[in-house]
Amino acid sequence: MKDFAIRANKLKKIYSSEFEKIVALKEIDVEIKEGEFVTIMGPSGAGKTTFLNLVGCLDKPTSGRLDILGCNPIELNEGKLSRIRVDKIGFVFEDFFLISSLNSLENVQLPLIFARNFKNNTNPETLLKRVGLDHRLTHFPNELSGGELQRVAVARALVNNPQILLADEPTGNLDTKNAQGLFDLFRELNREEGLTIVVATHNVRLGHSTDRIIHLNDGKIEQDERLVK
Amino acid sequence: MKFFVLAYKNLKRRKSRSFLTIGGVAVAVAVLVCLLGFNAGYQEALTSDVDKMGYQVLVTAKGCPYEAATRVLKGEAGLKFIDEDIYKQIISDPDIDKITPLLVQLVYDPEKSDGKGGFDSYSGIERSYMELKPNVKLKSGEWFSSDDANEVILGYDKAESIQKKLQKTVGDKISIPGEDTNLVIVGIFEKTASLEDGDFFLPLKTAQRIFEIEGKLTSIGIKLKQIDRLQAFEERLYPIASIQVISMSQVKGTILNLVNSAKILIMSVAFIAIFVAIIGVINTILMSVFERTQEIGIMKAIGASKLDIFKLIWIETLIICTLGGIFGSIIAIFGGNLVELLVRKVMPYAPGGKLLLVTPELLLFSFFGVIIIGIISGLYPAFRAASMRPIEVIRSGE
Repeated sequence: MKDFAIRANKLKKIYSSEFEKIVALKEIDVEIKEGEFVTIMGPSGAGKTTFLNLVGCLDKPTSGRLDILGCNPIELNEGKLSRIRVDKIGFVFEDFFLISSLNSLENVQLPLIFARNFKNNTNPETLLKRVGLDHRLTHFPNELSGGELQRVAVARALVNNPQILLADEPTGNLDTKNAQGLFDLFRELNREEGLTIVVATHNVRLGHSTDRIIHLNDGKIEQDERLVK
Repeated sequence: MKFFVLAYKNLKRRKSRSFLTIGGVAVAVAVLVCLLGFNAGYQEALTSDVDKMGYQVLVTAKGCPYEAATRVLKGEAGLKFIDEDIYKQIISDPDIDKITPLLVQLVYDPEKSDGKGGFDSYSGIERSYMELKPNVKLKSGEWFSSDDANEVILGYDKAESIQKKLQKTVGDKISIPGEDTNLVIVGIFEKTASLEDGDFFLPLKTAQRIFEIEGKLTSIGIKLKQIDRLQAFEERLYPIASIQVISMSQVKGTILNLVNSAKILIMSVAFIAIFVAIIGVINTILMSVFERTQEIGIMKAIGASKLDIFKLIWIETLIICTLGGIFGSIIAIFGGNLVELLVRKVMPYAPGGKLLLVTPELLLFSFFGVIIIGIISGLYPAFRAASMRPIEVIRSGE
């Protein structure tokens, strides 16, 4: 039996400002196994990004328990969290978030600068070739199309051989063809590498190409749907 | 790719801003190098000037010793006259090794400095002058034919300017402005790199006759057998009421003291320049940190630790300061002559030789100084950047 990659118990997140308190996640319980390809779906404000940020160790929950690959991010300091981010987690964003002064290859190499574990890396060029961009190595972000930008971002997320890939609305800025291509790539990585993938998306059709859809609404899990292939 | 490359690329992105900041640092370094170079150079040039005088002691008429000393160094001798009898009186003193009488007169030449007018210095000397000044040698021509011949020997620079302006050299006649007597140029002195290079030298008696001050001197230059006998020598001259004895080491000390007070003012200007440069560096780096909030957030999201971001921003500051240091040193090396020209114009007394001494040690000192400044000024922006939370950027999606 496979271990759990992500395990959340009564996970709660409240954003407090001077004027209001927003409860983004209301004590949710989720378990995601290693090698699962999961979609988080729900309307805007449902808590999808909050969930990914907590799982991605970018933010700490207000209460509850969280277990990421055997680590408890709630108890870890900033330095240890960045260590988990660089060694175990790959992040893909809706807006790609590539560094404009670096070309494709350099963008993919960027996490290697921050990684302490040099043995566990994949060659950036090999990765760019895998995502079909071996002819765009020296191109800068402003010279690439939306689909190409997102594939560079995926290569960047994979360069440190993470165990979990988190993608927040990765197809939000892509056309249908590129969006499908990206999900196909995710599926390939999931099958061939056993990579645990959690994607937040609005796209129902793409969501149905994954193993499982967790429907979030107003900070709560409305439905946890396992898809039979 | 390394941190350094990443930092360099960030700076390259905002070329003009980075360039201007590097320029600010370079100017501060150049100012610092020039001022410290001036500090060292002035002292050395003054010492060399004093040493070249050949005298250890100068006897002049009583008056303000500082003014007399400065005038002596400027080649103007004393303020007032002393009787030639005094020279005859002290020449046999047992402590004296070498002694020479001097009569220096300033003559206004309306044609000097391209018609602007200015003073020329005429020194009446005797053969003993050459013995006291080992670096004064005849480059061409010969010594005066007699003690009161109407002849002149030119200092090196004066000879050059006369050759250029009047096409006259050894054998030709020149006149003293306002005087009837013509003088034959009999010789030219070698370059001594002192202010005397611009003087006219006449036989002492000729000078006394032409300027109608017979039996008078402006000063007496003396070299003692042993400098530690100075006090005893001075005490013996004490009964002569109309004269004062000036030791050249005292003169040097006095001028250096005066220069030192000016130095404090100059150094404060240098520190202001450095302070402005530091503020400039902090401002530039801080601006670029704020502009890159998103980028820094992304880097943190993909695994950069606080220390990584701190390092990155710090390296950027160091690159700016290092390049500023390099360019500043180059400016100081090549622009130093310009500063020297300026200093010579504004200083009441500037010794001959090089005023600005830009040594490798000084360059290294300033260069490492600016690196340390870079390390310090990079701290705050780097700290600000390192403290940014990745979530602020990422959350914008929801």
